[in-house]
Amino acid sequence: MKSEILKIKERIQNGELTVQDLFQNTMKSVLENQEKCNSFVTILDPLETSSGNLQNIPYALKDNISTKGILTTGSSNTLKNYIPVYDATVYQKLKEVGAVCIGKTVMDEFGLGATGTTGHTGVVKNPWDESLQAGGSSAGSAACVAAGVVPFAIGTDTGDSIRKPAAYCGIVGYKPTYGMISRYGVYPFASSLDHVGVLTRSVYDAALVVDVIKGKDEKDMTSFDSSSIKLVDALNNQKKEPKKLFYFKELVHIDSYENPSEELKQTLKQFEELKEKASELGILICEESLSRELLEAIPSVYTCISCAEATSNLSNLTGIIFGPQEESSDVFEMIKEHRTKGFSPLIKRRLVIGSYVLQKENQEKYFLNAQRVRNLIVQKMNAFFEQYDALILPCSEREAKSLNPKESVTTSDTMVLENHMAIGNFGGFPSITIPNGFVNGLPIGVNLTAKVKDDENLLQIAARLEEMLGLCGQVAGGKK
Amino acid sequence: MSCFTKELVSELASKLLIGLSEEENKMVLDEFEEIERNMDKINAIADIASVEAMTHPFPLEDIILRNDDDVEELAQEDVLKNASHKNLTTIIVPKVVKE
Repeated sequence: MKSEILKIKERIQNGELTVQDLFQNTMKSVLENQEKCNSFVTILDPLETSSGNLQNIPYALKDNISTKGILTTGSSNTLKNYIPVYDATVYQKLKEVGAVCIGKTVMDEFGLGATGTTGHTGVVKNPWDESLQAGGSSAGSAACVAAGVVPFAIGTDTGDSIRKPAAYCGIVGYKPTYGMISRYGVYPFASSLDHVGVLTRSVYDAALVVDVIKGKDEKDMTSFDSSSIKLVDALNNQKKEPKKLFYFKELVHIDSYENPSEELKQTLKQFEELKEKASELGILICEESLSRELLEAIPSVYTCISCAEATSNLSNLTGIIFGPQEESSDVFEMIKEHRTKGFSPLIKRRLVIGSYVLQKENQEKYFLNAQRVRNLIVQKMNAFFEQYDALILPCSEREAKSLNPKESVTTSDTMVLENHMAIGNFGGFPSITIPNGFVNGLPIGVNLTAKVKDDENLLQIAARLEEMLGLCGQVAGGKK
Repeated sequence: MSCFTKELVSELASKLLIGLSEEENKMVLDEFEEIERNMDKINAIADIASVEAMTHPFPLEDIILRNDDDVEELAQEDVLKNASHKNLTTIIVPKVVKE
């Protein structure tokens, strides 16, 4: 069976597993995983539910998603004591279908990071090897799913924050089309790029979960009616028709790189092998080109837009309405003290950059030009999607990087390969990472991105490749 | 010579009501140099100024003005729950208008 969720449901229905045993086993795994990987900010006692499509299925929720009465920190000292007074829509929907939240997961502070190392409760470690990053920002969500603690976790993705940690941890990470899942109650980072999505160990489970959490929400004006998109039905009724994918030669040809590492060579070799095998399934993968100037602009466009939007979104963190209030006789000093002590160095850097690009004299050169290049890239992508079903590329240059900063530097040579998944956020395109084998015995991923609202087609292709690659359901260390 | 200085970084941080250590200031300066190099590439793209700036991934289709009806809101008591200093209906802060 391709679904971990259906497997649990079936075992309960057959009487092979009681809900009490399921919860007991889950909590044992949670505690082991917490000690090994530090995936959780808060661990919750599971409470049995009485009905719903995901009745009694345990899951984890990223700690930037509001849960009424339950600590929700955004992994930041500025909200280390904040208890929301309302539920995010995604959490509410999961409650309605009977899913059981067993913990809030550690993330890079407010999502502004890609390493899983900047959360206020400490570094998240990769369950495949504790000396490595889990990736970020949905670090704890990826680590606990990869370790087999829960069959799914909810994450958020502004640049690749679901899809990169999924690659590093050897699991599936899916961010649907922008607005398919409501962001009401989710802490905003960069509103024009923010997505909610899911981390699972199979494409089928990703479809199963997103089917129940998507939908138009009056509380989020960017959400849309996706009732005609039925992901599980699309997988169940797949006819395995021929498909046509494309990749950018500038990122995949080894001769694009001056001094390729052994890991990069191996990553690209596995991509080549995938291409060949896929063609036997009727999935044709063709070479295309995107100009170097646009590709190389991706990291800066992302930095400018995301930092600018974050500067605005995080301006309400004053320690007055919520968060720990500092003592001072001057209100501005009080706020400054709160923000200076509360934000990590990374957040401070991001906010200062955002402020700089938004200064009146800089807006044209930085912020507006970044938005214009974003438009050019999205236009090019939409033109490609006229001819092709999806873009396919390796998720990164190599397997998960070391937690030692001196050993995890990205060179300018591979900067684009490390950051290209932000294209999915620029255009709001649905995008999914699936495992694509191993480098140095550690998982790597491949990413697929399709046109807006073509999520059914995207997941159908991903499921076929997943079946071909034979890594569905893999758990870190192969213990399950 | 770079237009980025330690003083500029401090001024930007102050506007955000954030204090930076010497080390943090240096990290921002280093990052600015990198961003500036990359932004030069963006600014060199032909006719970039004529392209429409994109503020949203795709046009929103079904935005309608809602009726001006009462909607469920958070109770005042709930809103105040996370404030450190408050009385029954207000949040207490140091006096803003000085004598």
